[in-house]
Amino acid sequence: MTTQTKFGLGLLALLTLLAVVGPLVAADPNAQRDLLNGTLQPPSLAHLLGTDEFSRDVFSRLASGARISLGVAVVAVAVAAFLGMVIGLAAGASDGGLSGLLRRCIDIGLAVPRIVVLLVLLSAIGTVPMWLFALVLGATGWPAMARLIRGETLRLRHAQFVAAARALGAPEVRILWREILPGALPPVLVAATLGVADAMLLEAGLSFLGLGAPPPAASWGGMLLESRSVMAVAPWLVLAPGLALVAATSAATLLGDALRRRLQPDAK
Amino acid sequence: MTPLLEVTDLRITFRRDSGPPIVAVDGVSFTVSAGEVVALVGESGCGKTLTGLALPGLLPPGAELDATTHIRFNGTDLAGLSEDALRGYRGRRIAMIFQDPLTSLNPVMRVGTQIAEAIRAHQQVSRGEARQRAIALLGEVGIADPEERVDSYPHQLSGGMRQRVMIAIALAGEPELLVADEPTTALDVTVQAQILELLDRLRVSRRMAVLLITHDLGIVAGRADRVIVMYAGRIAETATTVALFATPAHPYTRGLFASIPRIEGSSGRLPSIPGTVPRPDQWPIGCRFHPRCPVVIANCREVQPPLEAVATSHLAACWWRRRRPGEHATGPGRRARQALPRRRIPQRQCARRARRRGCLLRHRSR
Repeated sequence: MTTQTKFGLGLLALLTLLAVVGPLVAADPNAQRDLLNGTLQPPSLAHLLGTDEFSRDVFSRLASGARISLGVAVVAVAVAAFLGMVIGLAAGASDGGLSGLLRRCIDIGLAVPRIVVLLVLLSAIGTVPMWLFALVLGATGWPAMARLIRGETLRLRHAQFVAAARALGAPEVRILWREILPGALPPVLVAATLGVADAMLLEAGLSFLGLGAPPPAASWGGMLLESRSVMAVAPWLVLAPGLALVAATSAATLLGDALRRRLQPDAK
Repeated sequence: MTPLLEVTDLRITFRRDSGPPIVAVDGVSFTVSAGEVVALVGESGCGKTLTGLALPGLLPPGAELDATTHIRFNGTDLAGLSEDALRGYRGRRIAMIFQDPLTSLNPVMRVGTQIAEAIRAHQQVSRGEARQRAIALLGEVGIADPEERVDSYPHQLSGGMRQRVMIAIALAGEPELLVADEPTTALDVTVQAQILELLDRLRVSRRMAVLLITHDLGIVAGRADRVIVMYAGRIAETATTVALFATPAHPYTRGLFASIPRIEGSSGRLPSIPGTVPRPDQWPIGCRFHPRCPVVIANCREVQPPLEAVATSHLAACWWRRRRPGEHATGPGRRARQALPRRRIPQRQCARRARRRGCLLRHRSR
């Protein structure tokens, strides 16, 4: 295990701890303690990361935001991987018209900028609950996954062991599921891990634009948005969610690279 | 006895977008009886593999059986069956093993799982039961420590062991016919012998017929009951192994024999048949072998020779045998021609000659 991998695992452990245990031990993230004297307090023992302009505890908000930001990213990637897997397998295994149609769908999905689609969709929906936000994020992320799976399926469907399975009477669905899919998974696993970083940044970006978690819910992108106006007097408000985002995306990227080295040693 | 498998007039054509369809296998007929080993021999590109694939309906996309083709298996004509009906035959009645045992096994699944899946595909048994049977099968195909090997991945096994695993998977459905497509080509010689030994043992213990597809007459010796020699999509010669080794009638068969390396004898250059098998769209008119044949007469260039009886259950498709007195051969390979003149030889000599050509005669009670 390389140093980078250990670092990535360490970051992941810290963030998981923050998301799982943080909200249990920290104070209520939405409690407005003292609107007269308690706003924009710098970090202290009472408030580890200070308070924001509504005198809410920043550490509590960071911890509850971890649940939202990480949760949204993971769910979004899972949705994207599932859709991509189904569509990619179908595109790779079918012949003729269906295959061409699905391939064009994937190409179109890849060609249209994801951020534009998301902006249009989210502003059309208006206020979105977090689960729907995650679904929408995932539903726009499948083309890259589908492309990967389709490629792997095309490579594997002509493999001798697939012919051997067919010669022994295995039905086509079973061949897809038991023979081809397991072999197609490694690159998907890598892409999914790296995709978590992407999804997290997208979520933060969209929240920053006001399209994410509706206030007062805390998400890291939303925290950045709220702290923008007071950045000069209270820089810790920007630093806390900003550094958390850097840590989370770094963890995902480092672990994705580690998986790639492990699962696809020949890929560069 | 009615044969287990009776193939009549097997004709496989590939449709093309431009130009006439290509006939890759052209009117091949043969039978395989229960418990019999029949070898299908020929160079690459002769249509051996296509013939094997056609039996359980596994032709590649674009290839089609002719309407006149019949593949009768236990009385049922497989040529007319639907894909779903054929699937019921694959693995359960007709199993196949392929040339390269590494690529024939799924690299990301444990071998025990793969065998167990094959068992569960054919029989209603629990996972634990299937695993026990997988271990038993591994033992039956001669893998040491089957209890441990059952959890190995294919890359952890040697080539010979992988082929044994493939055979175990093929046995899972308890097939009546095993089509073995070059099962030993990717293995080294000692392992080859072991695998052939194993196939032989299994066909005796399970009364399983084997269609052994190979380009190597050397591995046919002593393993097969009968041999079918194919050239360019047609049968050139077919006979019992002993008769074929003793009195090969077709110049192509003799060419194949001449190019088997021998342990004793001269260490000169190994003779080979000049040229290569033409592509299916470039098959010559007349006898398809005539451009490479050492004994060509006028007829060979014009008319395709029919498959005719040379002796009892020994057929060959060659005009040279029916040449008129005084008609001389033309063609490449003078040395090959000198070995040619044929006369009937008595039975006793026949066995001796066969043995000299490397055919190990079996004395097995049947």
